[in-house]
Order: sequence, then structure tokens, then C-alpha cells
Amino acid sequence: MTSQTLEQSLPRLAPRGGFANVLRSEWVKLWSIRSTWWTLIALVVLGAGLTTLMCWGNADWLASDDADESPGSFITWGMMIAQVCAVIIGVLTVTSEYGTGMIRTTLAATPARGRVLAAKAVVVMGVMFVTGTLTALLGYLGGNYFLDREGIGMALEGDVARAMYGSGLFMAGLALFSLAIGFIVRHTAAAISIVLGLVFVVGNMVLLIPGELGDFITKVMPGNAGGEIATPVSFNPDLMGPWPGFGLFALETAALVAIAWYLLRKRDA
Amino acid sequence: MIRAQGLTKTFGDKVAVNGIDFTVEPGRVTGFLGPNGAGKSTTMRMILGLDAPTKGTVSVNGHRYASSPAPLREIGALLEAHAIHPGRSARDHLRWMAASNGIPTTRVGEVLDQVGLDTVAGQRAGRFSLGMGQRLGIAAALIGDPPVVVLDEPVNGLDPEGIRWVRSLARQLADEGRTVFISSHLMSEMALMADHLIVIGRGTILADCSMQQFMVDHAASYVRVKAPQSTDVEALLVGRGLEVTRTGDELRVQGLDAPAVGELIGSHGLLLHELTLVRSSLEDAFMTLTADSVEYHAKAADEIKAGGRS
Repeated sequence: MTSQTLEQSLPRLAPRGGFANVLRSEWVKLWSIRSTWWTLIALVVLGAGLTTLMCWGNADWLASDDADESPGSFITWGMMIAQVCAVIIGVLTVTSEYGTGMIRTTLAATPARGRVLAAKAVVVMGVMFVTGTLTALLGYLGGNYFLDREGIGMALEGDVARAMYGSGLFMAGLALFSLAIGFIVRHTAAAISIVLGLVFVVGNMVLLIPGELGDFITKVMPGNAGGEIATPVSFNPDLMGPWPGFGLFALETAALVAIAWYLLRKRDA
Repeated sequence: MIRAQGLTKTFGDKVAVNGIDFTVEPGRVTGFLGPNGAGKSTTMRMILGLDAPTKGTVSVNGHRYASSPAPLREIGALLEAHAIHPGRSARDHLRWMAASNGIPTTRVGEVLDQVGLDTVAGQRAGRFSLGMGQRLGIAAALIGDPPVVVLDEPVNGLDPEGIRWVRSLARQLADEGRTVFISSHLMSEMALMADHLIVIGRGTILADCSMQQFMVDHAASYVRVKAPQSTDVEALLVGRGLEVTRTGDELRVQGLDAPAVGELIGSHGLLLHELTLVRSSLEDAFMTLTADSVEYHAKAADEIKAGGRS
């Protein structure tokens, strides 16, 4: 048999529908390693658990006349910590492949590299949006129970409802941000350090820069701009507001994804 | 079929692959030989579209790899044993690969059976021995039932039974009409496995011929003669214009085959104690051919001397 006849004996593929295959492949990849499960469990425990804990501990103070913060700042408190898990999922989706050399198997299976990036992005964002929203709801149920007992409970509507799916949106956005950094630096420890440093450390340190410049930099830092959508009332009243802030964060993320896409196509694997 | 035309890859000012042309034909096992740093891996990565050629082209089944909608059905590759996530099971590794190219999931069980990993399919690949990892890599190469199979160092880490298995698998794939392209640094293994040889050194093709032709062209052979009156025999042979070198009490004769040397000596009434045709191995032939193109030359030469003479 020649290679030609052998080729013909193979079932012919439909020319389209390729992206659905890549999506399915990334879906199998995500759920077939344990770190995904551990990280998502940590996200739920931290996100819902810490919110409940903070509301339990602060409910009577929040209900008193001494309170200088709103209960709305506490009802998604745990999500500020749980976002670390979104960073880890986003980064590992990419860098675990570079660390093991598996990226070559992936790119040999799907030579259209943009599709690999897009499929990873869709799968990770979908999972993070659902998990983030459900975790915020769970935290709301737990935390609001204690707020209710002090008579300062909140209805699940308006800004509170927005903070629920806002948590999902921010988690999805942050995971994409991390995924893009992963493609750019291709190294797990470096990528996680960069994102956590940018969002948690630098994002808070710029508060110390005096004057209008400091205010401006604080507003546009990705974690500060994007995170406001995940809380009904922000601890920092000087930020951009939930939707404008998230819009800016989305633009910053899009810019990183564009760089990641360019480098992935250009660089040798 | 794999065809490279003027294929070139440079890293900075270092030329890894220098304008090579070759064709890997279907229906036979083609060995890809070369010392470390010769450009073997770079060439294989360019075949698979992982590295972009600086110049030139390489095509698989007549078109560029990257333009294939389902490349795993066209070419299967074992790249390196560690291109597998250690936390994922063998079955899941093959499942995502199958999914990515729309290959039916039933193939996963088939290739696991074929490479003998069916009983450990649920185990995480990180627990596999080097040999089991190689088997998983070969299963991955076969998942799309491709007409072209590329195996980079397939016998690495395999036990003798595994090596025999790879050998018969390569033969079987070639007999089915597939294109089989195998790199190995184990020359003796190549001698048993390959029908055709492509030898690369310092980024250029040094030889592209059948295994037999390679032996004839590059493997030195001589007739070893031991005789009681060796001085007379030597004088006779030299007198006939043959090239004779003396090592201890033996004579090494080049330029005539063993029966002719024996007849010549016998016809002059001289006694003969030994008459043997000595042919160097593929390994020796390969060493001779690539002696000038070894990347880390000075060091390698010293090591060969130290190792060979002790």
C-alpha cells in the first residue's frame, strides 16, 4: 500500500468544526489534572468561607454607631483573597504545558496557534465565571445570615446582585489576564509572581504615591480597576466605579492577550 | 512522505541546519543519524511546524504541516519522553489528543492495547518509568493512524524486550506502506532497524543512501592474514600492489577479497593460518564519516581515545 492509498483510507475530516475540537481538548485537559480541582475547592472555601467569617466577626460592629464601613464592603470580602486561585488556574493552564514540554504536543496537534490560545481562554473564563459567581452567592448566603441577625441584612438586588456576577466576571477576567502573562513569560513561578505582585503588592503600594498622579495610578492598576465590580460598596471610594473600572481592566487584559497571541505565533515552541 | 528543500535554521549567528534537501519515502524505515548538536531535533521540530525555518521549506504529504486541519491523522510524532504532564493519566493524555483532532475516542483504547499500557492506563504518567513514558509517547504518535510516523530516539530507556518491540513495530508500520522516520544515536540499533539512512553532521547532510550502500561506501573492510612466513607473504602481497599494514604478527590487506588473497598465497606454496574478512560496524563507519563534523570536537576526541584504548 502506498502512502496515497493509506491516506485515502482514513476518514476525511469535515473542513470546519476545528475549533469545537480544540475546545473539547482543552476541556479534557483542564479537568484531568488534580491541581484544577484543588484550586477550585480552595477558591470556594476561601471566597465563601472568609466572607462568612468576616460578616460573623464584624456584624455587631457594622450595626453599631461606631461603624465607618458599609456592610456592602464585607459581603464579598472573601473574593479578594480567592482571586489568587483565579490567577493560579489561569497561569497553570499555560505554564504547566511549557514546564513539561507538553506545549509541543499541543501545538503539533493544533498548528493554528491562535486557536489554542482562544480555546484555553474560553474554557478557563467559562469555568471561572461560573465558579466565581456561585462562590460569591454562597458567601452572600453565609455572610448575610449573620448581618440579618443584626438587622443590617441586604436583599439580593441592585449592587449586591451585580457584585455576585461581578465576582464571576472579575475572576474570569483575572484568569484571562494571568493566562496571557503565562504565554508571555512561559514560566509558572515567574508568571504567578508577576500577576500577584501587580495586583496585590504594587496595586496597594501606589496608594502611597502623593497627589493626583498617585490617585491616577491607583485607579488604573488592573486589580483596583477590575476588582470594584465584585463588591457592592468598595473600601476605597476614590476608584473609577464598577463598570468603567471593569471596562478599563478588560482593555488592559485585551492588550496583554494581543501581546501573548503575537508572541505565541512568532516564537518557536 | 516528508520532503525538505533548502531547509535552513539559524539561531542568532549559529547555523543549526544549513540548507538541507532530503526526501523520506513511504514503505521503508528511514534512519536519521547524527552526533549531538548536528541538527536532528531542530529538523524534526521544523517538520512538525514547531520551529519556523529561517529559509527553505519542509512538507508532509505534499503540503505544509501547519495547513493541515487534523495533523495527527497525517503525521504522528514521538518528540521527547517528557512532553507529557506528569499529573495526567495515560488515558486522559490520549483523550485530549484525540479530541483535538476529532479522532474517535475508541482509538484511545486501541493504541493503549497496542503499546501494552492498557493495564496502567488510569495511572498518572508521572509514576511511569522511562520506558513506559516512551510507550505512551509512541501510543500518542499512533493515535491518528497516520501515514507518516516520526520517532525521535524511540528506544531511549526501553528494556531489551521493549527495544525489540519498537524494532518490529517500525518494520510493521513500514510494511503497511507508511513513512517511518526514526532518529537514534544508537548506531547498532539503527543497523537492525533502518532500510535507508540519512546522516547529518553540523547541519548538513553527509549521506543519504540505503543501509547497504552506506556500509559499502563508508565501512572500512580488510582481509586479516596470519601466516608462519609472514615476511614472505607480505612481500608477495606488496609486490602485487596491494595495501598491507602489519599489526604484530597479523597482516591487514586491502584491495582484494578474501578468496583471492587466499588463492594468491596458496598458489605460491605459502602456508596460511588465518584468513578473515573484517568489516567495521555501522558505528565505526559513522564515526569515520562524522569525525570532522562533531560539534564538541576536542573534548569528544579525547574521550574516544581515553575510552577506546584503555
